[in-house]
Amino acid sequence: MTVLQEPVQAAIWQALNHYAYRDAVFLAERLYAEVHSEEALFLLATCYYRSGKAYKAYRLLKGHSCTTPQCKYLLAKCCVDLSKLAEGEQILSGGVFNKQKSHDDIVTEFGDSACFTLSLLGHVYCKTDRLAKGSECYQKSLSLNPFLWSPFESLCEIGEKPDPDQTFKLTSIQNFSNCLPNSCTTLVSNHSLSHRQPETVLTETPQDTIELNRLNLESSNSKYSLNTDSSYIDSAVISPDTVPLGTGTSILSKQVQNKPKTGRSLLGGPAALSPLTPSFGILPLETPSPGDGSYLQNYTNTPSVIDVPSTGAPTKKSVARIGQTGTKSVFSQSGNSREVTPILVAQTQSSGPQTSTTPQVLSPTITSPPNALPRRSSRLFTSDSSTTKENSKKLKMKFPPKIPNRKTKSKTNKGGITQPNINDSLEITKLDSSIISEGKISTFTPQIQAFNLQKAAAEGLMSLLREMGKGYLALCSYNCKEAINILSHLPSHHYNTGWVLCQIGRAYFELSEYMQAERIFSEVRRIENYRVEGMEIYSTTLWHLQKDVALSVLSKDLTDMDKNSPEAWCAAGNCFSLQREHDIAIKFFQRAIQVDPNYAYAYTLLGHEFVLTEELDKALACFRNAIRVNPRHYNAWYGLGMIYYKQEKFSLAEMHFQKALDINPQSSVLLCHIGVVQHALKKSEKALDTLNKAIVIDPKNPLCKFHRASVLFANEKYKSALQELEELKQIVPKESLVYFLIGKVYKKLGQTHLALMNFSWAMDLDPKGANNQIKEAIDKRYLPDDEEPITQEEQIMGTDESQESSMTDADDTQLHAAESDEF
Amino acid sequence: MTTPNKTPPGADPKQLERTGTVREIGSQAVWSLSSCKPEPGIGFRTLHLPGFGVDQLRDDNLETYWQSDGSQPHLVNIQFRRKTTVKTLCIYADYKSDESYTPSKISVRVGNNFHNLQEIRQLELVEPSGWIHVPLTDNHKKPTRTFMIQIAVLANHQNGRDTHMRQIKIYTPVEESSIGKFPRCTTIDFMMYRSIR
Repeated sequence: MTVLQEPVQAAIWQALNHYAYRDAVFLAERLYAEVHSEEALFLLATCYYRSGKAYKAYRLLKGHSCTTPQCKYLLAKCCVDLSKLAEGEQILSGGVFNKQKSHDDIVTEFGDSACFTLSLLGHVYCKTDRLAKGSECYQKSLSLNPFLWSPFESLCEIGEKPDPDQTFKLTSIQNFSNCLPNSCTTLVSNHSLSHRQPETVLTETPQDTIELNRLNLESSNSKYSLNTDSSYIDSAVISPDTVPLGTGTSILSKQVQNKPKTGRSLLGGPAALSPLTPSFGILPLETPSPGDGSYLQNYTNTPSVIDVPSTGAPTKKSVARIGQTGTKSVFSQSGNSREVTPILVAQTQSSGPQTSTTPQVLSPTITSPPNALPRRSSRLFTSDSSTTKENSKKLKMKFPPKIPNRKTKSKTNKGGITQPNINDSLEITKLDSSIISEGKISTFTPQIQAFNLQKAAAEGLMSLLREMGKGYLALCSYNCKEAINILSHLPSHHYNTGWVLCQIGRAYFELSEYMQAERIFSEVRRIENYRVEGMEIYSTTLWHLQKDVALSVLSKDLTDMDKNSPEAWCAAGNCFSLQREHDIAIKFFQRAIQVDPNYAYAYTLLGHEFVLTEELDKALACFRNAIRVNPRHYNAWYGLGMIYYKQEKFSLAEMHFQKALDINPQSSVLLCHIGVVQHALKKSEKALDTLNKAIVIDPKNPLCKFHRASVLFANEKYKSALQELEELKQIVPKESLVYFLIGKVYKKLGQTHLALMNFSWAMDLDPKGANNQIKEAIDKRYLPDDEEPITQEEQIMGTDESQESSMTDADDTQLHAAESDEF
Repeated sequence: MTTPNKTPPGADPKQLERTGTVREIGSQAVWSLSSCKPEPGIGFRTLHLPGFGVDQLRDDNLETYWQSDGSQPHLVNIQFRRKTTVKTLCIYADYKSDESYTPSKISVRVGNNFHNLQEIRQLELVEPSGWIHVPLTDNHKKPTRTFMIQIAVLANHQNGRDTHMRQIKIYTPVEESSIGKFPRCTTIDFMMYRSIR
């Protein structure tokens, strides 16, 4: 970039960082008009894209040659947003017809953004029915950058089973630095001159000692490429200003949080090095609040580091104050923190008096002569490497059980660094005496400390992602109980967030535990009322529970909030479907499809509505569309099965239900349906087996028992059927169907009095239904005997309500007596 | 209803819909009329004001109505694409607003086509003031299965020539048995597990 462009570019980025898109666009347009470089083109396109006008960015980039990877990536992104998948694919990988680039080519071409490029490419492949290639791309993307969640999510959704443990780990520093933006590449390429620049900020610390340290570290780089990262830490961490402790922690946290921000690339002049400038893209953090990426705030290495220059000692390799490490957050890798802190504490301990000082910096290194540094640093380096190695080993094993500890610590230690924390950490450090003995932490440079902290934070995030990944994977494979279990073990500050609770709610929904699901979802609504993802499941839960008021409130709120989300329109459609206004429900579901044609659930719900309005052809088309969008959408397979069942094409129905079951094997409702269909196909033995399986999976499902009873009844096993039905009567005493079936059994057994009793009960329980079937059942009773049964029946059982009720009343008393006798 | 008492108004059909036992299927049929008053207009130019035809008969709006424009009997023909079970017919008539245009004698015929119609019900209205529910049952007290329904207005109040009809709804019974040949379940506990949505 030329000198001419720099201020303008800086101004544009500043505008973008402040979401002032009109300003950014205007300036970018002027810049591009002035300098027709690809850089300026990219900047202008970025402004357009960020202001929400992907089509502008698309047309702009199409109209000019794009050779730089960033332009290509942005153009591909616009293509995908505008549903021009083939074009997007062509840009990224050479297209379907030309010679395709391999993943390695893409990696070399796109460098840092290869992970995003591959993720985008994976998305394109999955949408164009090339799931294998898509899954390859996602895997590669994740291996390049384990911080990305969406490729993992997509892999789970297409039915792959990525291993969270393998995916979410920082395998090497190479990866670590690749994940982070430009500035982090400085970590790797420690030789470049430009990276020396940040070190000039270390005004207090002699440049040569630092460099010497670095060189030492670099020289012993065999196991430990971390040392190269020190330069990164320097710039961020060290500022000439004395920073109060509170902000000090935030500084480091900011630094850590800064990882994903491109603002870091502005890390050029000293001004940019102030940790508090927006160029870092840092959000000030007062407390170690959960949910930040920067759990390192607890690592008060920074403040100590920062204060080092202020104290003026030339050899300020300040040691991280363990005190702060007491306030561990979840993210802080247990192994890491424990192993790091002891090292650090050792130093504090060594410089005894200093530990008792305020949790400001303690710089034991002040005592050590400067020229001893290089030696120490090399030793430090070795010890450090060993500790980091230990860390990495211990990481996976140790972390999960430590989460609760972390949580409590961070809770109690909220608010920053205080004296007690030091005590805490000191205690902890005593545990790892072995490491302490190794560590000559006195030479632990701030760079390395800070970098360790960064790494620790990243490891912490990885651990969290592993757990969440396991939970999500279990949910996508419909191991709902497992998923609930895993996700419930997340620390409470993560558990009580919209995403996690929605997944748990969905898990309960898939288990047909609608009450639980409703409880969870209402909690989501309470804490995150701006969340729409997952609300369609909530609306269906309310539909099942027939809570029309709650459903109508939900749908109104969602449609008011976001008219462009398919979830809102699905909720609205469910609301009207519950009110039996099927035409309006159909309208809303169609609107949901219009808003997002790639949203499978809208098609499924529309299909169900068409089934309810008996338009089975349209329903078939809808379900097929849903499957086209998402082949693993088992609800749509179920819908198809239902239609075929209605049309009495039982083998087709069975096939489709079985497909649904293959996707979701723990659904008792599906098993129940399969059982009934098998019975219809005269495979009664199999039907009973299936129903037994269903009851084992979910003993709370009354319909399984009911259908088992009906199959037994059809097979003339009246006694067992009766037994089943009696049990069912206890579970659901108000269900008219149960009495209806009992009545039929008694009728077959010839006990007409009991049959009549049960039929009348059934009718009582279903007043508005005026179920013809029940009436028929009673009618038929008389048919063989009487030629004119109907009129008689009509008189007795028919329109005269008072008669009927009085008769049933009279019967009731007799019935109860009879029942006690009979049973 | 041959008594001199006025025909009492029936319940709003919406309530009937909410019970879930019936479903309005007029939208699945083709409606035609024997005659209707044209849209207001002057020569070739129409004023784009609503007319008095099928749309007004099916618009869920009790203010708009169909006005016939020919000789009696005035006919409303409802033709389905396939043989449909029909349970109830609901007609809205209001003597106070329509006076001599209010129908007084209505005949309901069903059949396969125009040449095949048979009357299944005839009703007399005396100063109706709301919804009239007409059950369409056959000889065996079951809902009729038919391709076509014809509603014929044979006579109006005060011997009026033309007739107004404000709204007609036709209902079919809902077989909500989602699985198995069983009637509907009544408790939420059963209904929750009945289907996957």
